[in-house]
This record gives sequence, structure tokens and C-alpha cells, in this order.
Amino acid sequence: MSAAANGEPLLQAKDASIEFGGLKALQRFNLEIRQGDLQGLIGPNGAGKTTAFNVLTGVYEPTSGDVFVCGQRVNGKKPHRINRLGLARTFQNIRLFRALTALDNVRVACLSESRPVFSAERLAALRREGGAWAWMANGLDAWNNYYDWWRALLLAPGFLREEEELTRRAEQLLEVMGLSHRRDEEARNLPYGEQRRLEIARALGTRPRVLLLDEPAAGMNTREKADLMVLIRRLREQFSLGILVIEHDMKLVMGICEQITVLDHGETIAVGTPEKVRADRKVIEAYLGDSYLETHPEAAQEAAR
Amino acid sequence: MVESAAPAATPALLPAWARGVTPVVIALGALAFAQWSSGGSPFFVYIASVVGVNCILAVSLNIVNGMTGQFSIGHAGFMAVGAYTAGKISLAFADTAVAGVPVVASDQLFLLISLLAGGTGAALFGFLVGLPSLRLRGDYLAIVTLGFGEIIRVIVQNTPALGAALGLSGIPQTSTLFMVWFWVFVTVLVARRIAHSSHGRSLWAIREDEVAAEAMGVDTTAYKVRSFVISSFFAGVAGGLFAHFIPIINPNSFGFVKSMEVVVMVVAGGLGSTTGAIVAAVALTLLPEGLRTAFNAFSSDPALAQKADQIRMPIYGLLLVVLMLARPQGLFGTREVWDVLPRWLPRRRKGVA
Amino acid sequence: MSDFIQHLINGIASGTIYALIALGYTMVYGVLKLINFAHGDVMMVGVYVGYATAFQLGRAARTTLWGVLAIFLVAMAACALIGFLIERFAYRPLRDKPRLTALITAIGISFALSYGFQLDFGPLPGAAPRAFPEVIQPTEWLVLGDREVVVWNWQVISLLIAAALMVGLQYLVFRTRFGRAMRAVSFDHRVAGLMGIPTDRVIAVTFMLGSALAAGAGILYAIKDTSVQPLMGLYVGLKAFVAAVVGGIGNVPGAMVGALLLGLIEEFVVGYTASSWREAVAFGVLILVLLFKPEGLFGRVAAEKV
Repeated sequence: MSAAANGEPLLQAKDASIEFGGLKALQRFNLEIRQGDLQGLIGPNGAGKTTAFNVLTGVYEPTSGDVFVCGQRVNGKKPHRINRLGLARTFQNIRLFRALTALDNVRVACLSESRPVFSAERLAALRREGGAWAWMANGLDAWNNYYDWWRALLLAPGFLREEEELTRRAEQLLEVMGLSHRRDEEARNLPYGEQRRLEIARALGTRPRVLLLDEPAAGMNTREKADLMVLIRRLREQFSLGILVIEHDMKLVMGICEQITVLDHGETIAVGTPEKVRADRKVIEAYLGDSYLETHPEAAQEAAR
Repeated sequence: MVESAAPAATPALLPAWARGVTPVVIALGALAFAQWSSGGSPFFVYIASVVGVNCILAVSLNIVNGMTGQFSIGHAGFMAVGAYTAGKISLAFADTAVAGVPVVASDQLFLLISLLAGGTGAALFGFLVGLPSLRLRGDYLAIVTLGFGEIIRVIVQNTPALGAALGLSGIPQTSTLFMVWFWVFVTVLVARRIAHSSHGRSLWAIREDEVAAEAMGVDTTAYKVRSFVISSFFAGVAGGLFAHFIPIINPNSFGFVKSMEVVVMVVAGGLGSTTGAIVAAVALTLLPEGLRTAFNAFSSDPALAQKADQIRMPIYGLLLVVLMLARPQGLFGTREVWDVLPRWLPRRRKGVA
Repeated sequence: MSDFIQHLINGIASGTIYALIALGYTMVYGVLKLINFAHGDVMMVGVYVGYATAFQLGRAARTTLWGVLAIFLVAMAACALIGFLIERFAYRPLRDKPRLTALITAIGISFALSYGFQLDFGPLPGAAPRAFPEVIQPTEWLVLGDREVVVWNWQVISLLIAAALMVGLQYLVFRTRFGRAMRAVSFDHRVAGLMGIPTDRVIAVTFMLGSALAAGAGILYAIKDTSVQPLMGLYVGLKAFVAAVVGGIGNVPGAMVGALLLGLIEEFVVGYTASSWREAVAFGVLILVLLFKPEGLFGRVAAEKV
């Protein structure tokens, strides 16, 4: 809450790098996303874009450098913890819960805002103390959860109320994404475009501050892409988010992103506004090959300016 | 499959806090009445008890293998922990009774204490086994759970205090149909309530796509451990019940063969379906018993009945193969009988009340 | 000290046998990413085939070099055939299904074989252990001191055969075109297929090889243990599996190292405590490895593509 109010970045990467064996998949990656930002991450195939997402969301731990979510350093934290801090994502290859209904997909993400015995604030405070207190915080957190299971098994009225609220919130999200009519349909039966929208609805269920979209327009036709552009802008307003998009569709990226970072072979080769990036020499070479500028003098002129 | 846990549309007959435990109270009454009013030949009681125990085992394993999509094949190990724990405690209390109540009631009370202890012991082992191994990939988890079952067996075999290889005898045979089927009811109720809650949905999500579940804020390891603990608790209770209607328990009753029997029940019934687990447990318990009885009745050769029993195991193996090739979702898939019941039965409604 | 050396020798002897079986596990896991639970039981079938062959040959014939060779070859051929059939009809249809499905199938086959062979009618041998016919006249090959350390001839022969088979396999995997194809398939069978590698054939041959090796190992084991029974597949198979995991499943040299280690650990533990803990050793080692280094000594942590 406070991070956004101060204009501090909600998501920050400082020289984050990751190596797999000898392969330097991501090198010295820097990023800052604040509330209201709409940024893009582009690069040729294999440039490390999804790897960057994986580092930011905790799937991989950076071998050097740091990642901060809402001011907290999250290196080595498990993805679900990082998600709870306010970072949500979609996947390049759709990863819905295929056998679950659309509603259930979103409901999983909207985990009950239960009133635990030990509140999240108290636990966070304990964890910040470090050492034995942090360890105790984990124990108390576990107690929270066992207590919550008992409430579920005994059908405690508080629990039932929370389930209702959760369902209501999920239904609202489905409506925002235009999927209310698919509420009870199994996710695997949905058409492709709706599946992509469902993934976004699901990510929104986790109440994120920052949303990472991994190729949200993949496989869409022109009309759907145009709708998506409008949708992404609307989501930013409606949910007070910062958004980072990986995309291959240049029109979409240049169309909605205010700042673009370009990766190639794990390195950042350009950062800036769409106009600046479009004319950047290194970017053109990365996408179109070194010889392009020689054979297309007008583009070289453009780049020189 | 997983509908809202919102209560049925019937007007509130009960205060809100009682809604959870009411079915249990009703079941207690119904079962006690049935027990008191029925005679039942010893054979019938034995068969019904075995069926009940297998139902508990199958439904509890279904929570881990079905709902959570993990692969635990050492369920009998937890059964063993429960059986020996409950057995030893019952032996300790063998000569005590509660004053002022009929002996039967006192027996059931001590039995209950033993069962709870057995279940808790098994749950503890479930936690100890689950915590490290649920970080591992599916096939490795299978091996570890298998190993756990075998290690328990070896430990018991080498422990004189637990009867070693000859077995533990003398456990008061206080099990009744009432107690067995009460616990079947509780297990099924717990399984159903989990499935219909947000916790259950998280388990299903883990089964569908663990990476995505983790990314959506589900603490996958913790959830997997919890499902494991709950499942082993009931396996322990099943073992405890077993110890109280079988005169001697020895480690071979809880070996890999038993674990595989339960796995076959869950897979054949449908991974994820509580109904399927029950149907398969009943069928796969009654069928061999029926065959054995038939052989004993119609032929004079006692060895034939034994052969029929032996052939059960390779047939289970082949059954698994055929199932995986032809119908991997088993009998019921993930469907439940209460999803298709007529509307006049109180059931969970879709959507918000 | 002499005890120590004796245990060392025994450990190495059993280690090499485990290695042959472990290689089968590891190769199949490499190309199929499947733990073939039925591997040990296929070995068991091979041992019984060898047993039958030895009986057919008769006392005189089976102790000659050609007789022994025949026993090995027939058993290995039989196992190769069984391995092929299992892969073709049980595993291939499930190749693109979730791994759990194939795992359950493997367990089913293992069960069917090990308990099927315990039945007592028709050609099935029944549960009682039988003595494997004498194929090598046991003579002391090397004696140190006053019989403090004894190396038996069959141990040496067993070691030589096992070593020869392992060297042959190493050559195959690392120095032939087929071996390269195997390794390609183990990285990604779909891409290998696109590159023109006959994936189905490679996988089938891998299976057959692994099964044949297991048969050879099984017969060596039967010679050492002098008894065969239907459940030996499960027991020995499990130890070999542990060896493969210790070395890093999917890694060929790792399987050999892991097997030697396991053979030694088992021999020393049993030697210095009691033999009733023998089975627990394998499981104990397995659990320790899985807890602390699940990818094994030489394995790489497989990162899942997100």
C-alpha cells in the first residue's frame, strides 16, 4: 500500500542474472514497474523474456542480483509467497486448470481472505524480526492453516460466508473479462481466445499490484488483438495495476506500452519509449540481422537520427 | 465437480454452528440403532468389517492420489502404524472399564481412544514422510512411499515388543459394525467436505497443474503435506479397526500387497472420485470373498479356493494395465454420485445462496 | 583386516551384478523418462528361462563353456523379447500420456509377473524357491592367509562377464551411431523424431538391450545365490533401482558407480550388523539420497520448462 502511495516501484529487478550450467540465460536485468505503468518486454525468440518472468515470479532464483516486490527482497522465495506479495502472471503456453470450470479456475486464485488466528500483518512483522521469530512465524502460519481446515470441515458459518464472498469476487472477475457465460464450462472446452482471457481473470483473482502477461495475444486475430489492447488499458485503470507485457506482436506492444525493454541473448540491448526503441540500431540488428541496415539504407538513416 | 459450499436452499432449521456436526450426530444415532437391533452372524460381521476398513482406506488414499494427484503407494504402512499403536493401547487398557456404564459402551469408548491414538500416530508419520518427500517428483514420491511401507514392516519384524514376525495377539476384539461404519461415514464426510471447499479446489489445482497453482498463491508443498496427513490419519484408524477384529496382526498383513490392493481400488474406481473408491472397495473386497466361498461350497478341493485367492494378485496387476490402456479414468472418473442425485435431496447448490 | 578385504571383494562382486541391472533402469529412464518397475521382474523371468535351459541341457552339457554360453544367450534373448513386447504393447500407447499413467502400468506389469510366477499351475513355477542348477563348479581361485580371504572362481567369472558387458555397453552408447541416437532420444524424443531418428526403433532396442543385460545379471545372481524364486525380481530389482538413483537416474556411468557403492554399503552393513537388516539397507540409502541429493551423484537437476 505504502509503496504505491510513495511512487516507489512495485516491482524492481536490480542486475538480476541467472545461469544454467554455462548458459547465461539472463544478464544484469534491470526493471522498475510502478503503479499505473504499462511496459513491454520484447526480443527475438530465446532472448530470455520468459526467463525474466520466471526470475521475477520466483520460479528461478537469480544467481546474482536482486528482485524486489513491493519493497521486499524476494530472492529465493517460493512463487506462492511472491504472489501473495502482489505479483501475478499468465503463461506463454496456457496453463489453466483444464478439468476445472472457468469459475473454479478463478476461485482457486481467490483464496479465502479468512480471518486467521494470527493475522498476516503480525506474521510479517515477526518475519522481519528474523531468526527464531521468523521460524516461529512459519509455525503460527501452519497453525492458521490447520485451523482453517477445521473450519472448513465443520462448516463454520464464518467459513461459509468467506466461500460465498470468494465466489462472488470470482464471478465479478469473470464478468469483467466477459466470461460469465462460460462460468460452469470446463476450462479445456473453452475456445482459445477465451482461455487466454480466463488466465488473465485467474491472475487477477490473486489481487495483484503488478500483472505480468506472457504473450497474451498469441494466436489471436486482428480483431481480438485490438480488443485485448483496450482490455489491458482498462484493467490497468480498474485494478490500479502496473503491467508488464511480453509480446511478439509489434503493433500491440508499440500501441499500448509506454516503455519497452528489449532483450537479446539474455542481455538488455535497449530501453525506452516505443519510438526510441523502434529506431534503435541494435534492436533492428537483433530482429532483422546485421546485414539489414546495409541493404536498407533508409532504415539506417532512420536509426542514425 | 466442485460446487459452492453454500448451504442448501432449505430454510434454516438449525442454528448455523450446528450445521456441520448434525450429519455426524444423526449417523451416530442411526448406526447405534442398527447395531443394537441387528444380530448378524459372525461371518457377516467379519465381511462387513473388512469392507468397511477397505472403504476407509480407499477413500482416504483417494484424497492424496485422486484429489491431489500425487502417487502414494505405501498406504498400508500408515495402516500398520495405526494398527500397532491402537493395538498396544488397547492391550494396556484391556482390563480396565468405565464404571457405571454397560460394558459394551465402555469397550467402545476405549476402542475410540485407541483408534484416535492410532490415527494420530499414523498422521504424525504422514507428516514426517510427507514433508521431505512431497518436494520430489511424482515417480520418486512413489518410491519413497513404497520404501516407507517396507521399512515399517522391517522395523516391526525386528521388534519383539510388537510381536515381531509372529504377530501381536491378544488385542481385545471390541470392534463392532457400529464403530467401523461410523468411521466410514466420517471419512466419506471429510472427503466430501474437503472436495467442496476452497481447500479442495486448491488440491484439484495442484493435481491439474502444480506450477500454475503455485503461481496463483497456493502453497503447494503445504497443501500436499496436509492432504497426506489427513489421508494417513484415516489409514491409521482403518488399521486400528482392523486390529480389533482380527485376532492376530502380523507385518505381512500390511505389506506392499495391501498397499497395491488399495491403489487398485482407487484407480479402478476413478482417481478423484470418492464414490468410485467406495464402489471399487466394496466390489474388490466382496468378489474374492465371494469366489472363495463359492469354491469352498461347490468343490471339495480346499486348495482350489486358495488358488483362487492367489490368482487375485496377478489379476490385479493385469487389471491395472488394462485400465490404464483402455479406461485410465476408471469407473467414475472424477464424478460423484451426489453430483447427479435428484433435486429433492439436500445438496450443495451451484452459486451463491 | 582380512574380514574387511573379504567384505570388499564380496561387495564389488554383488555391485557389478547390480550394475548390470541398474544399467537397464537408467537407459530406459533416459529414453522414456519412465521408471520401469517391471524391469526386475523381467529379469526374474529370464532367470527361470535360464533355469529351464540348464535343466534341458543336462548335467554334463551345462557345465561346459558352450553350455554356459547357451544358458546365458537363451535367457538374454528371451528377456529381450519380453522387453520388446512390454514396451510395444504397454508403454508405447502411453508415451504421450501423463507419466503417472505409465507408472501405474509398470507397477501392474510388475505385479502380474511376480505374482503370476508364484502360481502353481501350468508352466508357472510356483512360489517355492528352487536351487539353480550347478553351472560352475565352485573352486577357490585365490586364498590369502589361512582361508581368511577367499576369492571364488565364480566371483571372478562373474566379475569378468559383468565387466565385459559393461564395456560393451559403454562402447555402444558413446562410440556408435546408434548410441548417439539413443542419447538424442533421451534428450527430447519429439525433436529426435523430427531429426529423422527412428525413435520407436531406438526405444525398442534400448528396452531389449536393458532387458538382456538384466537377464545376464540375473543368472549371475542365481549362480551366486544358488536359489531362484519369483519375488527375486522385486528384491534385486529394487536394489538395482536404488543404485541407478544414487548414480543419477538416466546417467550410464553413474549407474555403475552407484551400483558398486550400494554393493559395498550393503555388504559392509550386513557384515558388521545382522543379515535381517539387508533389505532395509537399500531403502535406507534410497531415502537418504532422495532427501539430500535426489538427482544423484552424477545427475543434473532437471529444470521444468515453465
